Amino acid sequence: MELSTKTLGVSRRSWLRQLLGDWDQIQLLISLVVLALIGVVSLFVESPYYMGIMVLTTLYIFTGISWNIVAGFSGQLVIAHIIFLAVGAYTTVVLNNTYGITPWVGILAGGVVAGLLGRVVAFIALRYGLKMDYFALFTIALMVAMKTFFLKWEYVGGAVGMGLSLRDAGFSKMIFSSKEPYLYIILVLTTIGVLVQYFIYQSKMGKYFIAIREDEAAASALGVNTSHYNTLALVIGAAMAGVGGGFYMMYVTYIEPPQVFDLGLNVEIMMAAPIIGGLGSLAGPVLGGILNKPLAEFVRGTLSGGRSGMTLIVYGSFLILVVLLMPRGVTGVLHKAFLKLQRRVTRTNE
Amino acid sequence: MTMTTDIFLQTIVNGLFTGAIYALVAIGLTLIYGVMLILNFAHGEFLMLGMYVSYWAFDLLGLDPYLSLPISALLIFVLGAVIQWGLVNRVLDAHPLNQIILLLGVSTLITGLVQFFWTAQPRVVRVSYETEVFVYQGIRFSVPRTVAFFAAMIISLVLYMFLQKTRTGAAIRAVSQSRSGALLMGINVKSIYMLTFGLGVAVTAVGGSLLTPNYRMIPTVGQTFAVTAFVVVVLGTMGNFIGAFIGGLIIGLVEAFAGFYFGGDVKIIASMLVFILILLFKPSGLFGKKKGI
Repeated sequence: MELSTKTLGVSRRSWLRQLLGDWDQIQLLISLVVLALIGVVSLFVESPYYMGIMVLTTLYIFTGISWNIVAGFSGQLVIAHIIFLAVGAYTTVVLNNTYGITPWVGILAGGVVAGLLGRVVAFIALRYGLKMDYFALFTIALMVAMKTFFLKWEYVGGAVGMGLSLRDAGFSKMIFSSKEPYLYIILVLTTIGVLVQYFIYQSKMGKYFIAIREDEAAASALGVNTSHYNTLALVIGAAMAGVGGGFYMMYVTYIEPPQVFDLGLNVEIMMAAPIIGGLGSLAGPVLGGILNKPLAEFVRGTLSGGRSGMTLIVYGSFLILVVLLMPRGVTGVLHKAFLKLQRRVTRTNE
Repeated sequence: MTMTTDIFLQTIVNGLFTGAIYALVAIGLTLIYGVMLILNFAHGEFLMLGMYVSYWAFDLLGLDPYLSLPISALLIFVLGAVIQWGLVNRVLDAHPLNQIILLLGVSTLITGLVQFFWTAQPRVVRVSYETEVFVYQGIRFSVPRTVAFFAAMIISLVLYMFLQKTRTGAAIRAVSQSRSGALLMGINVKSIYMLTFGLGVAVTAVGGSLLTPNYRMIPTVGQTFAVTAFVVVVLGTMGNFIGAFIGGLIIGLVEAFAGFYFGGDVKIIASMLVFILILLFKPSGLFGKKKGI
């Protein structure tokens, strides 16, 4: 009797230990489970309002990942990351409206164009040694300049902006009458995003990103080609944001410069999810993402009594509280609990 | 397009008038950066709050915007000191990204609160002298903008004298040069930080109040000014008081001339271009490495 409990205990513990061996894998698992749950829940949701929230939640996770790779992994202060989303969105809609190219290709092209812009930004930053605050200011200035430029650029609609013709509904035009197809598209994109983020993190490249973030001079002294890896992180993050922008265009069907070159939207769509979830962690954008949009939406729906500004109040308070109370975000809190559990399991085993 | 002497002088006057406000806002930003190495990403919101305080005083108490300047300065000074003490203080040694996120959070929160309580609807303060103009030697001087110009000049000068001539001013300058050194000399660094942040945002708020007689305000009105203030601060070397002052006037002139030649909307591109060029070719600004609060 005693023996059997012991055997059972050992086997159970070793199983637990194996599972608890690798925090990165657990984070990947959590991320994938959350995405799967969104998919499952969507089967039972009928209200277009809630479907819309789910689409945006998933989109914000995706764009959050794109910022997490640049700011969280490699530690570059790209504040106005939304410029890449905007460029991706414009590329997609111009290709569709002017050249009749299907958005299925257009979204990817948006990623390529945004990636090229990221390459240019990285080149300028590296060529002239823009670091930290200066780099952050540079991205914001670029956003303001781009907004004015796009307002004047008639080819992309100028101040009027650009919209999709909704009469062209259909699969090839990526315009659907219900919200489900959008959710499945963005779920697939985000799953790919989660996997890409995981493989980057696990790879040598990811280790270099982190090394640069922690101490750029030391990483450089150890032979890491810091400019190469900084550029790489920025191009990957920008390209992903561009793809997200293409999807954003197809979903909201209409964009104009003041809307997409805006710090408020930038905070909401790029920064909030990874910051709340834990910037630089693998599960951060996903865990932060499922809190970010639904909570903001809930607050706006119930507390504001129809007054505008409530969402901003929520985002602002979020950012302040997270920085002060849990600088490593939700994932950081989970990680602590995980380490405690791991210690307990290994201790009982010895 | 060629410029006659009159138009040339007129453009210079216009540029200097806007530039004086830029200088005031940038002085606040550079003061905070110089002393605690924090880039105040919520700077524009304090300017906006200054405008709304004046609007409120005008709407509720019928107070002329120029008379509400001290109210605006005092209220925003206290608010700034509280925010420094409660929030900014806690991230002084944190990663720059955390500092930026915190201040973006403050900025978002303030914008949201103003939108919630005053709605996003544009507000205007209607005063009798709003459109009044006097002409001197063929150059037109708008009354509110002339007042704003001289007020901004005087406030900058007073602040400069305060920093140079008083004991507290010397303490602020000492902290900006060496936090630990100042601490060893018995300076209460924490209260200097609160004082500096309060002063920095208060002069900015006064800049906002000075704009109210002829400026439409919305909750996001501060953002454009904040970006311009960043330009000015980088141009005049981050943390340099005189640099921010001169930089403000220069950017005002650049915008006025760009606006004359290329039209109103393009002037913001001009100042952004100046900014990007300085960042690229002389990131240390006009005054090199001199911090000089």
